[in-house]
Parts: sequence; structure tokens; C-alpha cells
Amino acid sequence: MEEFYRKLADILEVPEVKPADVMGGFAEWDSLSILSVIAWLSSDYEIHLHASELWEISTAQNLQDLVVERRGQRR
Amino acid sequence: MNFTFRNRKISGLLAIVPANERSFLEEMANFDFPPARSLKLKQVMGYDKHRLVDGPVCASDLACFGLEHLFQGGQLDRGDIDAMIVVTQSPDYFIPPTSTVIQGRLGLKHDMFCLDITQGCAGFLIGLFQAFLLLDQPSIGKVVLINVDVMSRKVSPKDRNSYPLIGDAAAITIVERSDDASPIYANLKMDGARGEALMIPAGGFRQPSSPETAVLESDGDNNFRALDHLRMDGSAVFNFVQIEVPPMIEDLLRTAGQSMDDVDYFLFHQPNRFMLQKLAERMNAPFEKMPSNIVEHYGNSSGVTVPMVIAHNLRERLLGGSINACLAGFGVGLTWASMLMPLGKFTFCDLVDFQ
Repeated sequence: MEEFYRKLADILEVPEVKPADVMGGFAEWDSLSILSVIAWLSSDYEIHLHASELWEISTAQNLQDLVVERRGQRR
Repeated sequence: MNFTFRNRKISGLLAIVPANERSFLEEMANFDFPPARSLKLKQVMGYDKHRLVDGPVCASDLACFGLEHLFQGGQLDRGDIDAMIVVTQSPDYFIPPTSTVIQGRLGLKHDMFCLDITQGCAGFLIGLFQAFLLLDQPSIGKVVLINVDVMSRKVSPKDRNSYPLIGDAAAITIVERSDDASPIYANLKMDGARGEALMIPAGGFRQPSSPETAVLESDGDNNFRALDHLRMDGSAVFNFVQIEVPPMIEDLLRTAGQSMDDVDYFLFHQPNRFMLQKLAERMNAPFEKMPSNIVEHYGNSSGVTVPMVIAHNLRERLLGGSINACLAGFGVGLTWASMLMPLGKFTFCDLVDFQ
């Protein structure tokens, strides 16, 4: 899951994202980053999130949990 | 559902764009978004210039301008038009249809079938399907398909979701019978249950326009638009396109017994460059076969974008010979449609400015 946090850091244009980091604390956690996350999760994980679901995410760990949960539902 | 057509061709195409050009850099001050992020938005989405009508220009104004251009240039004889299909979401009036408005303004013959179709991003394909069907009648030898929208008049300048990408345009496509009996393959799906993803809530009979429907309100993300304005649920549309379009194209190619390699160009609706790039990746289609430069030059004009892609990128190619083209439109409705057909040789293929 290191890759997951590295990719998230790229999107948020910060050196590093840790699981406990609050998404709303990142200056770049805006509609543009949210679209980038939707596109990334769609192509790399085959899960399709709505922007409203991402706005409700609290921490980076919560996002990872959501990805794991959705991938589980698909199996 | 699948369709097959035979002995049909596009013989010529004219695109019309307003001369009035605006740029994202001028307009980004209207958005409640940090300038650095607006610039990033521009880069990612491929926003730059777009063409918008200046003042109360209507669909029939663009269409009549284009038809007069063809009459004067000798590319179309006014007496030869047996049917006119107008595909628009921005009609001049509720009543009468824009197709008969155009017919009346130009003094065209009465022995003629005029038909309006309300369709958006798949409007070029829907219009072609109807044109192909009308040509089953011996009395119809030439169909003029007009795709036209002036949606900038229904988009809030303070909505960075929609305003930077919108463009106004018209296209006139001449559809006729051909001697080539090889099949043209097409398919179409619709899902009205997801229709609210692209919608103008007010202004119809359900919710007539009023002072209340003109009040700007935030979408929660500092985009300000009224109920009278176009509302686009960006992530819902993005997911719709990524999920539905690739299998549609796979089905089309399978039905036709062709592969990606057999297709010379994927001439798709132009939502924005980002969405097309992601779509090409998911389809495993070479991006260089999918021109994606219409939004940056002219804006997204809904059902007019496929003819815009053709006129902007393939003029010389189609005047000189033919290509195997995969066309697709997807959006409002929701509607998604695709078609595999030879394009060219055209007798004309131009793009003109509306003054």
C-alpha cells in the first residue's frame, strides 16, 4: 500500500501522505484533486466513486479502507 | 441495441462557429478557485479558447448562416433538400420547431420533411440514424442534418465545472444514398434513470423560469449556478463514460468483425481532453487515433463536436479519399451510441466563422 500513498501524495502535490493525515488539511484537496482520485481509482482499481463520497472522507486511511471495501464488494 | 445500414453516405460537411472567441485565462477570475489551481485545471482538462455567441444569437441563426454559405458556394442546391433534421437542446422556441423556423426563413420548398430532435452529446449519431432511415423513402434523396447548440446562454460564468468547456457551434451534414452496399454497423443504449447527471432543471413546463430560478446558488464547492443553468454532475458523467463506452466500442467492433487496428480514427464526442485520454487508455486505443483538440480550440458544443473533430482535423484527408471511422457520442439522456462507417470522399468539408 506504499504505492497507494505515494500516488495520493502526487495528486495532492505534497512530498508524503501518511494514513492518519486528514484530507481536508491538504490545501490541494479540492474538486480537481477529487477528479484525479476518481480517475486514478477507476483505472488502477476498477472502482468508480462519486465526488460526494470522496468529500466525506476524513483521513487518508479512510480512503484506503473505502478502496479495500469496494474491491471486496466486487469479488 | 444494434443497427445495420447499407447504401448510405455522408457527402459533405460544414461546421459553423461564432467568431467571438474567449479564453480561459480571461475568464478564470470569475471562478471562486485559487488561480494556481485554475491553471492546473486548464492544463489537466485541456481548456484554453472557446467560441461563444455574442448576444442573443439563436440556433436558427447559425444554421441559416451555414446553409446560405452552402447555397452561395454552390455546394448545396436549396431545391434538393427533401428532409431537414435539426438536433438541438437550445431551440429558438418551444413552438414551432426550429427545423420549420429554418425552412421558413430560407424559403425552402413545402415538399419537405422537417424534424426536430432533442438530443445532446450523442446527437450526431442519433441524427445520422434518423437520416439513414428517412432515405428508405424514394421521395427523399437528400437529407440535411443540422446539429446546433448555443448552450453558453444556459451556463453560469461562475461555474468552473461547465463554463470553461462550453462552446457554441452548428454543423450541416449532407446525407445521401450511396452505391456501396457494405454494412455500416451501429449501436445505441439509453438510460433515463441517470438523466439528472446533465440537466437544466428550470425553464420547461415542470419548473417554469421565474425570478427564483434565476438566483445563483453554490453547489457546495464554490460553483455558482441557478436552476435556469445547465448542471453537470462531473464525477457521475466521468464514471458513466469510463464504464459504458469501452464495452460499447468492443461490441461494435466484434459485430463488425473488425479490430482496433482496422479503425483509422476514433472520432468521438469531445467532453474534455482528460476524459478522452482516460477513455483511450481504458479502451487500449492509440490516443493519436483519437483527436481530442476540439475543447481547447472551440469548446464542447454537445452534439456538434463529432462534425467539429472531422472538420478541424480531417478536411484534406476526407476531400482526397476515405477512412474507416469509428464515431461515438455519449452524454445527455443518458445516451451512448457508436457507429463504424467509411467517411469520404466528401465534396466539401469546411469550418466557417459566424459573424
